[in-house]
This record gives sequence, C-alpha cells and structure tokens, in this order.
Amino acid sequence: MNAKNAHSSSFRDPSGYVFVDNGDIKRVIYPVYFKQYKALNDSDFFKTLFENELLIPHKELTNTDKEVVIKAEKISFVTYPYEWSFNMYKEAALLTLKLQKYSLEQGFSLKDASAFNITFHNGKAIFIDTLSFDFYIENTPWRAYKQFITHFFGPLLLAHYHGAQQLKLMSNFIDGIPVKMISSMLPFKTRLSPILYSNIHLLAKLENKHNEDYKGETKVASLSKKGQLNIIKSLYDYIKNLELKEHSEWGNYYDKINYTDDAFMQKSEIINTWVNTIKPECLIDVGGNDGTFVRKLNSSAKTSLVCDIDNNAVDFNHKIMKLNKEQFMLPFVLDVLNPSPSIGLNNKERDSFLNRIKELAPDVTLALAVIHHMSLSGNVPFSESAKFFSTFSKHLIIEFPKREDSWVQRLLNAKGDFKDHFDFYSLDNFISEYTNTFEIIEQKEIEDSKRVIFLLRKK
Amino acid sequence: MYFLYFDPGLGAMIIQTIIAAVAGVVLFSKNLMHKIKVFLGIAKPIQDDVFDDIEIKDSDIENNNSSER
Repeated sequence: MNAKNAHSSSFRDPSGYVFVDNGDIKRVIYPVYFKQYKALNDSDFFKTLFENELLIPHKELTNTDKEVVIKAEKISFVTYPYEWSFNMYKEAALLTLKLQKYSLEQGFSLKDASAFNITFHNGKAIFIDTLSFDFYIENTPWRAYKQFITHFFGPLLLAHYHGAQQLKLMSNFIDGIPVKMISSMLPFKTRLSPILYSNIHLLAKLENKHNEDYKGETKVASLSKKGQLNIIKSLYDYIKNLELKEHSEWGNYYDKINYTDDAFMQKSEIINTWVNTIKPECLIDVGGNDGTFVRKLNSSAKTSLVCDIDNNAVDFNHKIMKLNKEQFMLPFVLDVLNPSPSIGLNNKERDSFLNRIKELAPDVTLALAVIHHMSLSGNVPFSESAKFFSTFSKHLIIEFPKREDSWVQRLLNAKGDFKDHFDFYSLDNFISEYTNTFEIIEQKEIEDSKRVIFLLRKK
Repeated sequence: MYFLYFDPGLGAMIIQTIIAAVAGVVLFSKNLMHKIKVFLGIAKPIQDDVFDDIEIKDSDIENNNSSER
C-alpha cells in the first residue's frame, strides 16, 4: 500500500484509505473495490442514502484505472462511541441495522459493523465509512454480525443492566467487547429471553467451541436472505425498546439549583450579550448539562458542542435535539478530569479529546457552574484549570460561585477535616491565577446570587 | 468478493441459522400478539418520536432533482 499521508485510523480496509488534504477529507479507492463502487453509484444506492442523510455525502474528484479519489463532506467534530450517551449509542446501532437491511434489499451487505463507522453530524447519527458496502452473496450469513454484537448490542445490554458507565468500556476494547465477557456480565434471567440467549449466550458458547478450529474444517452454514432479515429486524425491535433503568428527571434540573428566576434570566442576558460581541461560528459549553443555556443564546453559531459528565443530561439534550430537529447541537459525554485519551495503533487510531478540540478551536468556551466542581470535587488548582481552558479557545466565559454560595458550601462541608485545604478557593485567588493566562474583558456580579461571571481572553 | 481483513468468528457465522430461526418465531409471535391486541382494542399507540422505523425510503422522498450527485 503506497498510502501518502493516510489518516492514522485508516489502515484496516484494503479497499482504500482516507487522507487529509488541506483540511479536506478525501478517500482513495483501489481497483479492488471498483466493481462495488460502480455498482453502488449506478444503482443510486449512494444517492438514496445521501438524500436520507444516512451516509456522509461525497463527490468524485478523479477517476483513473489506478485509483478513484472522492471528497467527503467535512464533519466539524468527530465523537467516538465512548463519548455517546445511551440514546446516542442506540441511534448509532439502529442506523447500522437500518443500513444493513437496506443493503440486503439492494443486493449489498455491510462488510463491517464497527461503532467507529458512525459519528454525529448535523443533529443525526451518520455512517462515515463509504467503502463498507460490498456485494451480497446469496445464502451467506452476515459476516459483520459478531462485530455488531460486540460493538453495539453487547455494550447497550451492559448499559441497560449495569448503567450507562458501561459504554465507556469501548475505549478499552477498541475492537468491541468480547462476547464471552458480555455473556458473563449479564444477569441469569437474560438466559430466559430467546433473543438474548441466542444472540449472546449461545454465541459465546459457539465462539468458544470453534476458536480451536485452526484447519477450518467446520462447514460454514448457509443462511437465506429472509433469515438474515429476521435477525436484523428482531435486533432492531429489541434495541429500539431498550431503555436505561437509571433515568432521572433532568428536565427539571434547573429547578434544583441556586438560581432565582431573575438571576437566571440575568445570567443568560449577560452571556447572550457577550457571545454576540464574539459572534462565534463554533462554541463549546463544558459542563453544559442538557444544553438549556446554549439554546437560550441567540447566536448564529453553526456548531455548538455541549458536553457533560452526566449521561442522563446528555441523553436529555439528545432527545431535545432530535425532537426539535436541531442541526447545530452536538451533545456528548465528557469528564473534564479525565477526557478521552488517544487510543489504538501507535496511540493514533482514535484521537484524544484535547487534540480534536484543539483542531476545532471553538471561538468561545462556556464554563458555567463548573469551576467549583473542578476545584473542590476534583482538587484541581486554579492554575491547572486555567491551563486546560486556555488550550482550545481564545475566549472563555466562566462563572465563579463565591465561597458563600450554597453549592460551594455543600461541597466544602463534604470535605470534613480536609476543608482547610480549600482555603485557596476565593474570588481573589481565582482572579490572580486566571489573569496569568487570560485577560479580563468584563466581569459582572449576578444579583440575587453569590456568583460572578467573567468574559476572558487568552493572553 | 469479501475481504477477510477481520475475523468474522466462525461460531458467529454458523450460529446465525439458529438465531434467524429464533428471530423468526419471536417476530411472528410479536406480530400476532399485536394483531390480537389491535383487534381487542388494547394496542398501545406508537409514541416514539425520536427513533424512526427501520425502512429507508427510496428516492421518491421528495422530487429533489436539484441534487447534483
């Protein structure tokens, strides 16, 4: 393979590779995939998927008998499976099944079903691996079936039974969670469900039995198209009805926090004015909950990233985004104290959160009601949190709850004997540490609350 | 032609026949139950706004000829 600056994640598939050219995402297709590519073009397969916004659109740039080069629409910020909330994960799983069903009907089949083939773009899950479609051969089973189980069905089931935190396992198991492990982690009662027994437990058993067959002596079974469609439909129905047990009411989160209605309005007015002077194309709200604040902005930002550590908040944001058909919103799960690392081959296959956000460089970062959690729950000194915020955007709008704030008091009291260690937590210290990295453009007290809000610019 | 660049799992290929049979029975009985419930008037209305159906509409969604692709 003579791949010139191939993207570090694009080495598995021999049909071609992705490369970045002046910020554009391009894809080289090798002759080995020409037949498939032509058939997909001629049958309007690609066109239908583009129109339904299920596959990332591309345009053909060059077409020779050595290679075809296509240019794909750019995705502003790629999120990975371990950054999705439960329902985002569900949407991605359903999209994969939907594509496989459609492919089968058109005489194609997905040759892989990796969760990394999907990301979120314009408010929807979208398939990004254009070369994943191959010809369907009559009466063959789906070769990506096991991958679907280990990348999608397994993680979703684990999240259903043990909580959404399980979805983070994917950052350790880049090639899917082993079936045996899924099977061992599911409660006994799942053996009584025909769908779960056959798709997980029986699969684990058979995989175990056949992984000793090095000579390939076992006869490969045949499976009719109708049979395969049955598997896909039954998984689709099952996953569609799968829910988290832990669902809490994030809808009324803002009733629980320390804002009178007036203060809340005032806060959003201040932020609105500031954001409008910056006129961002792109912004990120760190600890942005369910996106309430970003939705209150009347800015023209094309992309608004809203991340939160709480899966339920992100899930709620995802739901609102879907119901309102919002294109600018991009919710994802992120722990600022432990952002997603770079993983995979050479530690380059999937990029870290920091690298991706640095590349995106949002025009403004909102950090509302976050600093006390970072400083008090996470023991992060002001100098360190300032360093974090200064790495990716020029402007920072940050809210500082003073020591007297009841939330701060609650966090401090929880520290018990260790409380004195946090004497550094004061407005003066905050200002003196942050002004090492940032300059203060504006600073406003929010009336009726013990909070101050700052507009800062990187020095 | 398939590119065998990852291991599909031999067990996983064989087992799909069994899973398909199970899935067929489950789908059939669910369908039947739904029909019975509709007949008795106790079927729940479909209220899922967020996730749509598995079907993908063919090009007839809109007469969108402006698309250059």
